[in-house]
Amino acid sequence: MLDKLKEIVISLLKEKKTDGALGLRKGKWDIVQPHVFSDPDQVEALVVEPKWLLAKMAMSILRSSPEGYRLAVISRSCDERALTELVKRNQIEKDGLLTIGIACSAQQASACLCQRPYPEKLDAGEPVAGVDPFQDETIRELLVGEGPARMEKWAKLLKRCIKCYGCRNSCPICVCVPCKLEDEVWVETGVIPAEMIAYHLIRAFHLSDTCVACKACQEACPVNIPLLALQLSMRDALQKTYGYEAGLDAEKRSPILYDLIKEPGEGHVLPDWVNTLEKK
Amino acid sequence: MNPEFIKTICPYCGTGCGLILKVENGTVVGTYPDGKHPVSHGTLCIKGWSAHEFIHHADRLKTPLIRKGDRFEEISWSEAISLAAERLKAIAERYGGDAVGGLCSAKCTNEENYLFQKLMRMAFRTNNVDHCARLCHAPTAAGMAQTTGSGAMTNSISDLAGAECVLIIGSNAAESHPIIMGEIYRASDRGAQIIVVDPRRTMVAENAGIHLRINPGTDIPLLCGMMEHIINAGLHNTAFIQERMENFEELKNFLQSWPVEKAAGECGIDEGEIRKVAEIYAKAKDAAIVYCMGITQHACGTANVHAICDLAMLCGHIGKTYSGVYPLRGQNNVQGSCDVGGLPNVYPGYQSVSDPAVQEKFQKAWGRELSAKPGLTVTEMIGTAGKDIRALYIMAENPALSDPDVNHVLKSLSKLDFLIVQDIFLTETAKFAHLVLPAACFAEKTGTYTNTERRFQLLRKVVDPPGEAKGDFDILCLLAKALGLDFSYNHPGEVMEEIAWLVPAYGGVRFNRLELAGLQWPCPDPGHPGTRFLHEHQFTRGRGLFIVPQYTPPYEKPDEEFPYYLNTGRMFAHYHTGTMTRRSPFLNRELEEPYAEINPEDALRTDIREGDRIRITSRRGSIVTAARITERVARGCIFAPFHFTEARANTLTNPVLDPISKIPEFKVCAVRMEKEPYEEQKR
Repeated sequence: MLDKLKEIVISLLKEKKTDGALGLRKGKWDIVQPHVFSDPDQVEALVVEPKWLLAKMAMSILRSSPEGYRLAVISRSCDERALTELVKRNQIEKDGLLTIGIACSAQQASACLCQRPYPEKLDAGEPVAGVDPFQDETIRELLVGEGPARMEKWAKLLKRCIKCYGCRNSCPICVCVPCKLEDEVWVETGVIPAEMIAYHLIRAFHLSDTCVACKACQEACPVNIPLLALQLSMRDALQKTYGYEAGLDAEKRSPILYDLIKEPGEGHVLPDWVNTLEKK
Repeated sequence: MNPEFIKTICPYCGTGCGLILKVENGTVVGTYPDGKHPVSHGTLCIKGWSAHEFIHHADRLKTPLIRKGDRFEEISWSEAISLAAERLKAIAERYGGDAVGGLCSAKCTNEENYLFQKLMRMAFRTNNVDHCARLCHAPTAAGMAQTTGSGAMTNSISDLAGAECVLIIGSNAAESHPIIMGEIYRASDRGAQIIVVDPRRTMVAENAGIHLRINPGTDIPLLCGMMEHIINAGLHNTAFIQERMENFEELKNFLQSWPVEKAAGECGIDEGEIRKVAEIYAKAKDAAIVYCMGITQHACGTANVHAICDLAMLCGHIGKTYSGVYPLRGQNNVQGSCDVGGLPNVYPGYQSVSDPAVQEKFQKAWGRELSAKPGLTVTEMIGTAGKDIRALYIMAENPALSDPDVNHVLKSLSKLDFLIVQDIFLTETAKFAHLVLPAACFAEKTGTYTNTERRFQLLRKVVDPPGEAKGDFDILCLLAKALGLDFSYNHPGEVMEEIAWLVPAYGGVRFNRLELAGLQWPCPDPGHPGTRFLHEHQFTRGRGLFIVPQYTPPYEKPDEEFPYYLNTGRMFAHYHTGTMTRRSPFLNRELEEPYAEINPEDALRTDIREGDRIRITSRRGSIVTAARITERVARGCIFAPFHFTEARANTLTNPVLDPISKIPEFKVCAVRMEKEPYEEQKR
């Protein structure tokens, strides 16, 4: 997969189809860091491990680059979904962005509990089957079953939060300026733990319809709070009620952002409970 | 135009997390965690995420400065170095080499600290070299060296996740060492019992299984009561004691003077709880003891460390994976600055200055006559400033906030004939200097830091220092030359090679072996992979030594005039004397103003409400700060973080010292508290 990927990047650069390709470079002493490849000769050092979400980095590079700069981003499925969401929410101009899709291994898919470990636009690598996170024991304990018992578990876990803002910093979709989590009205400063409702649930609900389940938040948490699980129920609900999943479709927008009764456009099908409302 | 991402190590605490700094056009614009780092695994605390914020602050020192009256004037490097060399030489000639003292830095690299102590020892034939380790883990270095032969964390940080029982004493790791707390939570998720001993209900205590809220300074009674019960219940590891230990009989006889009932009375904990906790610890397959300032910063700090080691060795919970004694070192390189000889009684590698064979070795290696007389400690140097110590060279340390009894410190600093302060900002200490030298921060130099699990890690230069500021390595080489020493090192890597040559335990450490994940000492030769945990087959000193802990209760107990206990310490958003964090916008956003924690009952009784300005006074001084009313502190106790220059907690603290390690009793003193008059309250 890596060789094919390198060929693609080299040819894109040589044929001037892009100005830079954002990926990972293995440098001296085998140290891996993000890098914008602009010279075909550098591509030899391209690697794809470890998992490193580049969507937010791509956004910041495009914003600080001169007008007309084109960036190709080597994207796993999660990166592609994140970039799709960022474009839909007007954070990135679609024109300057190109994704080079790579598939994840079965091992990575199971580590991330990823439902679809290959991007829509797949350019290198063999797709493997996704994993259903709701089959995972830990997830089930947290999301399935009696409310009070689960609430106790969640409260205990969230009480560990050291307010590092790592989840927010590493999330590819968390790009708001200003960020609600930095608003003193909601999140008290100078004290930890960051509160369950004021911090974690605000973040969870702000992302409810745009989280792409990349698990970057959980991986950035020093105290092992299962943050991915915090988002899964809402993703599931959106899927079941509106047939909507964040990051999958470049056109279909979040149903929560629209009054589906007055403007049921954007590719949505009204759920059946809407009709019962109208009757009243 | 395109950003560069460079891997380096966090400059804050002793965990030594991996950072990736994003650099654009010569400016560091962001920090990312390092996913492949062996300690931090892609996570960071709030300070780590903000590590880049202070680097390009406008307050950065850019030129050498000389004090003229009340003002500082810029001078050139050549003038500065000549002045420094002249004045120091003159004072040494007039009053003797021992009139010169140096404070090296737990923030600077191993190579810089090594050169600092080499410079002081060679140029002035004195051993007056010390640094802030004196104020934090000096009891660990002394106490653990006595019991095990090695004054360092016995295991690796990641071993904590495998323990069945983690006993946390006097550590608020959730705020001070968050990534290490993550490992403890991993242990907890796997079913481990977490027991916390702390007079304060810290975040760690709230997230633990059991919290023993002891009376301040009663750790030894508790640990002795636990050990007494363990022996009576036959839960001690007799095989381990027989094969690996010395002096058990003396300890056993001594412990009879601490029956659990007596211990319970002294520490204010229910007898049953003490027995329960003792049994959980003793019976666990693998048990870890994590400790920090709550143990060390007492006038019996070294004895506290003895008691901890005794407990671990009594149960055989040492010398294997997961089990051990885990002192959490504070500064990013305090382990290293001790390791490379930044201490008055030892050369690099803890080789004693008064040992003739060692003195011979270093004299030969360095080509100069050296002193065999142990030097003065930080507190002693500052205490005798103007008398025994006439000149002080301070590299990246801020005693005006970090030393006890600040009013006395300030008076002492002003009595010095000559004070050089080398730092990145004009600190409160630097304001007393006759000469200020602008130095480079962590992102502007290469060298190594050693974290609390004995891991040498490589720093990488990411940007240039501002203005004319230089790396401490460069400054020390220039000064050494001006003092007639041949410090012709081209690169810090050469210094590391010299250290490796002189210290057998670091013999295999080279820069090119550290690039990826660092190396944990002991690492005696270039092929050795480093050591994950110590004392596996035998202790560093051979057999482990049980030492009877010499308990002294807090020197200043509350009385009528000063009815509260004052506890001092750290909080999550700021770091130590705040020189870096209080210039970081994201951290300042969390907390910009000082506070002190007051118990709700005390607040009610004294009519103090949240945010009120209060005056806290001890026998040494007085500060005004804001009241934060919380149940974290017990009734009759107050907690003040020491990060804030406007309300220096150390204005209040007691400079009484531990007799062995000379650490001040920061954790307990007596204070009174009053609400400030109406006019002073901010409305």
